[in-house]
Order: sequence, then structure tokens, then C-alpha cells
Amino acid sequence: MFEMRGITKDFDAVKALKGASLSVRPGEIRSLLGANGSGKSTLVKVLAGLVKPDGGEVFIDGKPVRIRTSYDSKQLGIATAFQDLSLIPTMTVIDNIKLNKETVGRFGTIDVKKDRRDVEELLKLFRVRCDLDAYAQTLMPSTQSMLEVAKAVYAKPRLLLLDEVTATLHHDEIEGLFELLRKLRDEGTAIVYVTHRMKEVAKLCDSATIMRNGETVAELARDELNDLDGIVYHMTGKVPDKAKACGAQAAAAEGEALLEVSGLKYSPKVRDLSLTAYKGEILGIGGLDGQGQSEFIRLLLGEFQPEAGAIRYRGKEVRFRRPAEAVENGIGFISGERNREAIFPLRTIAENLFVGRTATGGLFKFIGNRRVNGFAREAVEKYNIKVGELEDPASSLSGGNQQKLIVARWIAVMPELLLLDDPTKGVDIASRREIHQILRQCAQKGMTVVVSSSDNDELMDLADRIYVFYEGRVQALLSCEDKTQERLVAEMMGFAEKEERANG
Amino acid sequence: MGSGLRIRRFVKYNRPGMALVIALFLLLITVLINPKSLNINTFGSILVQTMLLSFAAAGQTMVVISGGVDLSVGSVMSMAAVITTGIMQGQGGRFAQVILATVAMGAAIGLLNGVCAVRVGLPPIVITLAVSYVVTRLQYVFTGGMPTGVAAALFKKTVQYRIFGLIPAATMYAVVIWALAFFLIHRSRFGKQLYLTGNNESAARLNGINTRKIRVLTFVLSGVFSAVAGVLGAGYMGMSQCQLFDNYAYNSLVAVIVGGSLFVGGVGSYFGSITGSLVMIVLSNGLTVLDISQPVRNLVLGLVMVILLTLYNRAKPIRQ
Amino acid sequence: MAEAIRRRWGHFRRQPVFTGFCLFMAVLALNIIIQTPAKFFTVSNFRILLSKNMPLILTCLGQSVLMMCGVLDLSTGIQLAFVNVIAIMLPQELGVPVGLGWACALTGGVLISLFCGFCIVKLRLPALLTTFSITYIIKGVNVLIMGEPQGKVEKIIYKTYDSVLFGFLPFAALILLAVLLIWQYIKRTRYGRHMYAVGNNPRNAYAVGINPERVQMKAFLIKGFIVGLAGLCLTASNASGNPLQAEEYGIRSLSACMLGGMNFGGWGTLSCGLFGAGFLVIVQNAVYYLFNFLTKAIQGLMINSYWQNLVSDTIIFLGLLATIITAKAQRETLKQGFVKQLKRGEKYGG
Repeated sequence: MFEMRGITKDFDAVKALKGASLSVRPGEIRSLLGANGSGKSTLVKVLAGLVKPDGGEVFIDGKPVRIRTSYDSKQLGIATAFQDLSLIPTMTVIDNIKLNKETVGRFGTIDVKKDRRDVEELLKLFRVRCDLDAYAQTLMPSTQSMLEVAKAVYAKPRLLLLDEVTATLHHDEIEGLFELLRKLRDEGTAIVYVTHRMKEVAKLCDSATIMRNGETVAELARDELNDLDGIVYHMTGKVPDKAKACGAQAAAAEGEALLEVSGLKYSPKVRDLSLTAYKGEILGIGGLDGQGQSEFIRLLLGEFQPEAGAIRYRGKEVRFRRPAEAVENGIGFISGERNREAIFPLRTIAENLFVGRTATGGLFKFIGNRRVNGFAREAVEKYNIKVGELEDPASSLSGGNQQKLIVARWIAVMPELLLLDDPTKGVDIASRREIHQILRQCAQKGMTVVVSSSDNDELMDLADRIYVFYEGRVQALLSCEDKTQERLVAEMMGFAEKEERANG
Repeated sequence: MGSGLRIRRFVKYNRPGMALVIALFLLLITVLINPKSLNINTFGSILVQTMLLSFAAAGQTMVVISGGVDLSVGSVMSMAAVITTGIMQGQGGRFAQVILATVAMGAAIGLLNGVCAVRVGLPPIVITLAVSYVVTRLQYVFTGGMPTGVAAALFKKTVQYRIFGLIPAATMYAVVIWALAFFLIHRSRFGKQLYLTGNNESAARLNGINTRKIRVLTFVLSGVFSAVAGVLGAGYMGMSQCQLFDNYAYNSLVAVIVGGSLFVGGVGSYFGSITGSLVMIVLSNGLTVLDISQPVRNLVLGLVMVILLTLYNRAKPIRQ
Repeated sequence: MAEAIRRRWGHFRRQPVFTGFCLFMAVLALNIIIQTPAKFFTVSNFRILLSKNMPLILTCLGQSVLMMCGVLDLSTGIQLAFVNVIAIMLPQELGVPVGLGWACALTGGVLISLFCGFCIVKLRLPALLTTFSITYIIKGVNVLIMGEPQGKVEKIIYKTYDSVLFGFLPFAALILLAVLLIWQYIKRTRYGRHMYAVGNNPRNAYAVGINPERVQMKAFLIKGFIVGLAGLCLTASNASGNPLQAEEYGIRSLSACMLGGMNFGGWGTLSCGLFGAGFLVIVQNAVYYLFNFLTKAIQGLMINSYWQNLVSDTIIFLGLLATIITAKAQRETLKQGFVKQLKRGEKYGG
């Protein structure tokens, strides 16, 4: 019996877990559900020993345990198959599976023959066919995922943690895997299965724990697993809405297309994307995490180069080789991943605001402090950004104010096409509303806004039309009457998958 | 604000100012230990040497702010010195040729460094070190191990002469070079992009800055500034030798970091590098006055850097 | 049979050491041509090449052990001088018996290597700049121990070192073989596997329960031992002491490993270091004989020795650039093969 109670964890300013709990019994397959950012991956990492919790306790069979390192986790009989894989790319299949479990033969050297036999048997069990001596990085993603699970199972754990392992698997492989998992469960293993695919939950799991915003909000038994509305309610905290009236957002119907994308491909996340964005509209991009939205935005920006497909911007086909080129052509980019992609923490607030102006223009032109500070002062007033002094480093601002700064930075430059990737992640409600208001004003002035978001409320509020991405393709286009929360969530989960696909 | 808080703020946040305080403090100690060193000649020489180091540190500052390191500064300086005396041969009127030749050389070496470090992807420390070895070899090849010639008399005077025995005539060079460096780093768009690139390269790139171009440019400018420093160094020494200014590579780096630039980039100021240079020269002078041998100097220099790195530059652990 | 050979060859081609192998073979062929096979394939030629260059070769091997684990040490070169001065000064100044003195020198090499390891692994300081600074520290310490180049070594020691056993095996080669044999054993232990894992992806190695810090510190221990041996070889080879020699072995061993196909991502083996070292040694040798030949062939052509060094250094620099290009090409073919597989996989649905 494995139990976690009251687990808390802060990463710098972000509260990933706020008193989460999870319990699973031997002989049970429990699924762990939650929207993006709910904390489910972090909770799994705590059990795996990769993250040190700030508070809370873990109990095994009623006795409290401390998991200080991943080694401790292994000693306690916990094995994990990670979403982002824990294989060593430049080691062979055999070496990977046997890593840290190699059989030692005479003279302290590894018994290579026995290792090979063990791995052969294991792979037969998993019905995986691959060259045992191939380097892990040369294998197909689906094979790698299977190996990741095989590696975890090989440790003969008491608790098996699987984090989104079916993302790259084919239908048959999933069936085979489920058979194996059911067998393990019957033998007494406890299994925690993290996924976003509701169909799998209904097919495989005995129970479910649902997380939202770092807390555990519900525990469901087997018979409750088919109630999609109920699950959506727990995951979002709201009852699904009736559609809002379509209003005067008819820009799409008669506007000119600013951006036309066709057949875009970028392995492995983007398979075949086509969409259109019209001048002056706010276009939303929805979907679960990792369905190709970020990659799509970056393909438009020129950070990635597409393998196939075309992008037409301002009526001409373009291929930006780097973001600098896109910015010169009137494109702006606002990222929700502030620390990695937007904020310069050691630089002053004024400098951070001036970035839009810094990026374009003559390289050796004089830029005086007065100009920078004047611009900054205006922006701070106009967008209501709460700052101490303009000379303070940008890291001193709260998340919401940082995000407002980033928005201000770009609005001041008035790009033709503004790309936003999860812009209000971790931002407080008030700042979020202000940012939405600013974006709406810009769209009215003629700016085209493309916003990708993992927050459905935000999409419903802001966007005129919403494209839903699923596994690298456009799953659906919602506008006017279609644009409802229920429809959105359904498309995101792939629930409205065509029957042919489900039957393989 | 209470004066105690003010002082603590100064110590923590005003690195250049702190460096100045440390330099004066070290100077005081040196004078106390050896009162004979309290004379105009010593001060004058400290001033000139600080200026020379600060010229070399100008390029190094830019490279460090962008997140790199340039260890070829010393060899470029030495090469420039050799070229200077080689062309001048004690004759006046050849200054223009000297500048042309050395700046071209510095820019070329800088371009090589930049392209290899940025486009090929080798770490700057390895590239600049390897290039510095090649440049050093070239010096020996061109001069057969024994450089000929001396700096022109008038030129020497402009570097060595001191007004009232204290204020160096070299100040006129300093004014130009310091102003140029200050403009480039603190008042130009290039400088603004430089700081952003150094602080968060991916954010800079995604927000429209051509980070590759910036980083290559920093190496080119470093080569140019080092070359100019080498020319003036030749004027100061009067003659040149192979590998004469090699230690300027490491010294300029320490000066820049003492002056408040972070090794990871994104933070720094040229004023800090100037005061950092002052600290290095005063320290070096003090060690000479105290008759500290060369090996202990090396030890001290190495330790200073390791301590600085421990204080300001540790990486994050795997487990969070 | 042919199929098996083709498979092994294909497998070998995808290893990083393949670049090193090609570069080495290329310059080796060049050298044999320049020096003429008659003069190259003599025992005395091998003896000279190996005994003079064994310190460098061993240093490269030590550096490759570190790079395999994802760390490095630029002060490796000056550490040889450290071992050297201890080996000379202990018997000379303190009357310690030579055997004991040399053993202490070896231990000293190990200890100083562990110090570097501590700074990089435990304190997590940036490896390149920290070890570069430590070079200065060691330089200072060396000169404090031994002010000026001095000292002598017993005749029997340096005679043995330069000797040839059984008429064809240079003594220095024996040392190399010993180190390689020890490595073959280590490679086959669990620790050897863990080294690869940690070097390539410390986070994933940690996820499997390996302690990356311990693995890396052990690597510094091994390298310290190899460097100690190298320092003793240097002492025997020069038959004297010099506190400031071999400093450039640090960057050269790094270059050798990179030439051999390793990069800073920890993929590669000891053979990368071996082929890289071979490349360095042979290039210098080839250039020397080339210039010899040119001065004899073209009358009145005066080339000073500085040209030699310049040419070999430039070739090494170019070799470095070449490895990055081949590494990029390798990664590209890897990606192509991968994408092809993906396309094939898509036909089967999903």
C-alpha cells in the first residue's frame, strides 16, 4: 500500500504542488489525471526521487519513508517509466535495460552472455522486435517508449509508475502493453498510470485520482470512469458552459488572409498542419500539452525550419531562417515560458521593456539612457505595471507584471502578426484580464493575433476562432456555435476521433 | 536610508566601486609595508599600466558579457607589438601603416575565433587558446625568434612621457579608447543587444536579435582592441619580444571579472573593467614591492580566480 | 562470413572513434611515404617515437577517461611537471630512496587530480576555466618545489626506459600496453558502463540510480594514476626535472581526444584518445621529415624550426575543425536514418 499525503513543492516562484495526495494498493491500476500544469508529473518525480518535496510525507504499508535519491526510490521497489524517457541515447538496448542491474561474472566483469539472454526474454514478453545492439537513439520513438517501460518492468517493482508512455505507440503495441499491465496487476503490482487519453483510462484502469492546480481534487472508482462531464468538471473546476453568442466577430468571414499554412511538417511533433489566419482576428490554438502547438509557433517564427509544407505571409511564400528575420518582417513573439524565452532576469526593467526597439534598427546607432527610460516610463504607466524602480532587475517583478512587461514590449512596436505561446501561464487573474483587454484592443486596431493556450477559458474568452491540435494535426476548427467548452475538451481528448482510427 | 544599509548595498551591488575601494586599500597596504614605494614614479607607472590593461580588457569585457572568453588577447597583443617595431624600425611617420596592419591582423584573428566558436560550435576557451598557440608560433616564424626594430622615438614619447612626472601622456589614447569602448558597450544598440544575448541567449534570439552575428562581432572587436593595446604596449616598452604580452590574456580576464562581469554573461560594465584593471596592477605592483617571487604570484592569481568562481559561478545540482 | 564483417564495419563506422581512426590512418600513410618505408618500419624509429612521446600519449588517454564521463581537466599537462619535480626533489633534497620518491610522486599526481575533481564535481565550478586557473596554481607550486630545471636520474632508469626488449619491443610500449590492458578490464566492469551513462546523460543515469558524482570522482582517480605514470615516463625520458614543462599537454590532450572523435557530450572511448594522440605524434614526425626532405631537395632553402611547429599546430587546428564537421555529418545521417524509419513506421498506422 503506497500513500502520499500533503506533498508540497515550490520551484522558485511557481507552486507546483500544494498539498497533493495519492494512494494506490497492490493489485490496482490507478490513473492519475489532470490538465496541463496540474502537477501530476511533478508528483510522479517525487516518488521517483528526482524531486525533493518541500513538505508532506510518503508511507509504504503504513510506515513513513524518505526518498532522498533515485537510488532510494529503487530500493523501495519503485520503478518509473518517464514521459521524456530515461534511456541513454548512445548506449545499446541491452546496456540500457541492464543499466545499474548488470550481472557480474567472474573477476568482477560483466557477464555479457547472461545479460543478453535476460534482455531477449524480456523483449519477447513485450513483443518488441529490435536489434539488441542498436544504439537507443537510432530506434523509433515507439520502440524507445516500449523499452522505457520494459526497463521499468524488468526491475520487478512493487510500484510501477508510467508517465504518458503511450504517446508514441501504435494501436497494437498499446493493446499488448495493456495485456501485460493487467497481468502484472493480477500478480500484485501496484500501478500508477498517468495519461491524457480518456479511452485508455476507461479500458485499463481500476480507479482514478484527479489533480488540479497542484492539489488532489477527486478520487474516482471504476464505475465513475465513464462520466466524461464529471471528469471535466473535476479537472477544470467548472461546469461546461453553453455557447456564447457569436457576436460581431465576423472578421474571419470577409477578412483578407494574413497567414496561410499548408501541409506543415516537423518531426516528430508536427505531422500535417494547415490553417489560415485573417487580418485583425484573434486566432486561438488549443489542445493538450505537446500536440505540436509550440513547435507550430516556432515554425512560423523561423526558429525551426519545416521539413515539408509552406507558409504564406502577406501573400508571399516565406521561409524565415531565424527569428531575427521574422521580427524584421513584422512578427512578434510572446512566450509564457518567461524565464527561458522572454525575460532577461539580470537586466533592468527599462531594458526589458525596450527589447522590441533594441532588436530592430542600425547596429551602431546611439541609444541614450534618457530614451530608454522615457519609453519605459510611458509603458509602465500605460499598461499598469507595478514596479519598484526602473533600474531594478526584471527578476524582481511578480509573474503577472513580468508578463505585462513582455506584452508591453511588443505592443509598443505594433507588429502585424503577434504570436503568443501560453502567455498567461502562472499569471494572476487580474493581470490576465488586463492582458486580454490589451490584446483585444490591438486586434481591433488591425493586428493579427495567434494565441496558443493550454487554458480553455482563455481561448473561449479571447479567440474568435479556435483550431484544436491533436497529435500534430488540426483536429477541429471551432467558431461561433461550435465554440463551446464541451466541444473544446472533447476535441482535445481526441474523444471525437473517427471510429476507423480507433479500430486501427 | 540608514548609512549601514547604504554601505551594504554598495558592497553587494556596486562591484566597480568596490573594486576601486579594494585597489586603494591594496595600495595603502603596499605603501605601509614599504614606504619607499610612495613616490610619483610608482604612481605614474601604475596609471600607465592600468590604462594598457584596460585597453586589452575592453574587448574582453564585450566577450565576457556575451557569455564567452577570449584567451587570445595576449598573443594578439604580442603579435601587434612585434609588427609595430618591425614596421617602425625606429623611424617616425609610419604610424598609419602600423595601425592598419595591426588592426587588420586583430580583426582577422577575431573573426577566426568568432566563426569557430559560434558557427562551428567549439567552446570559446578551447578555440581562443588553440588560436593563441598558432599566433604565437607565427610570431616566431616571422621574426626568427628575435624581433628587430624599436618603436619610433616620438611614438614612444607619447606613451611614456608623464606630465609633472605623474600624469601620463598616454591619457590622450585612453580618452579615445575609453570613449569608444564606453559607447560600444553602454550606449549603442550593439551594446544593448550584447547584454541581452549574454543574459538569455534563447530569449534574445526569439525576440529578434541575431545572436550569432553579435557573438562573432564581439570576438572581432576583441581582436581589434587587443591589437591596439599591443601597439601602445610596444610604445611603452620601446621594443618587443615574442610572447611579450601573453599574460595579458589571463590578467584581462581576471580584471573583467573582478570588475563585476559575470562569467556566464549578461552582466558587466566597462567602468568595472577599468577599476578591475587597477586592482590587478596594484596587486601586481604590491607583489613586486614585497619581493614576492614569480611562482607565488602565479599561485595567487590562480587562487584568486578559483575563489571568484566559487563565489559567483557554481552550477545547479541534478536533483532539485 | 563476409556478411558478419560488413556488419561489424558498418557498426564501426557509426562509432565516434571512426573519425579519429581515419585521421590517424591518413597521416600515418603520409608519414610512411615521407619518411620512406625503409626508414619508418625500423625498431629504432618506433623506439624513439614511443619513448619520447609516451608522456603525451598517456596524458591523452587520461583525458579521454575524463571526457567519457563528461568532465575534463586542462591542468593535466602541468600535473606531469608536478610529478616530475617531486620525483626529482624528494631523493635529491631529502635523501629519500629513489623508489619511494617515485612512488610518492605517483601518489602526488593522484592527489592533485582528485583536487581538480573536487572543484569540478563537488563544487560544480565551470570545468574549463577552473582547470585553466588551477594550471597557474600548480605552476606556482612547482617552481616553489624546484626553482630551476635541475636534477638527474639514475642511469639505469633512463637506460631501461629507452631500451628495447627482446630485440623488437620498446620498453615504453610495454607501459602503454599495461595501461590499455587495465582499461580493457575496467571497461568490462559495471563501473565502466556507468562511466558511459554518466558522460552521455547524467540526469538519466541518475534516474536509474547511479551516483554521477561518485563515478566522475573515480574517473579523476584513474586519470590521476595515468598522469602519474606519464610524469614518471617524462622524468625517465628527460633524465632531469623542469617545473614548467608540459603545460601545453593540457590543451593538446583535449585536442587529441576531440580529433579522436570525442566531443563534450561523453560519447567515445579510450581509443579516441589513443588515435588522437597518434595523430598528434605522427603529424609532428611527418612535418619534421617533410621539412628535412625539402631542405635537402631544394637547395638554399632555409626554414627555421619555428616553421615546423607552426605547420604542425595549424594541421592540428584544422583537424579539430574537421572533427566538428564530421560530427555534424554523423548527426545528420543519424537523423536521416531516424526520419526514414519514422516514415516507414507511419505506413502501419498511428
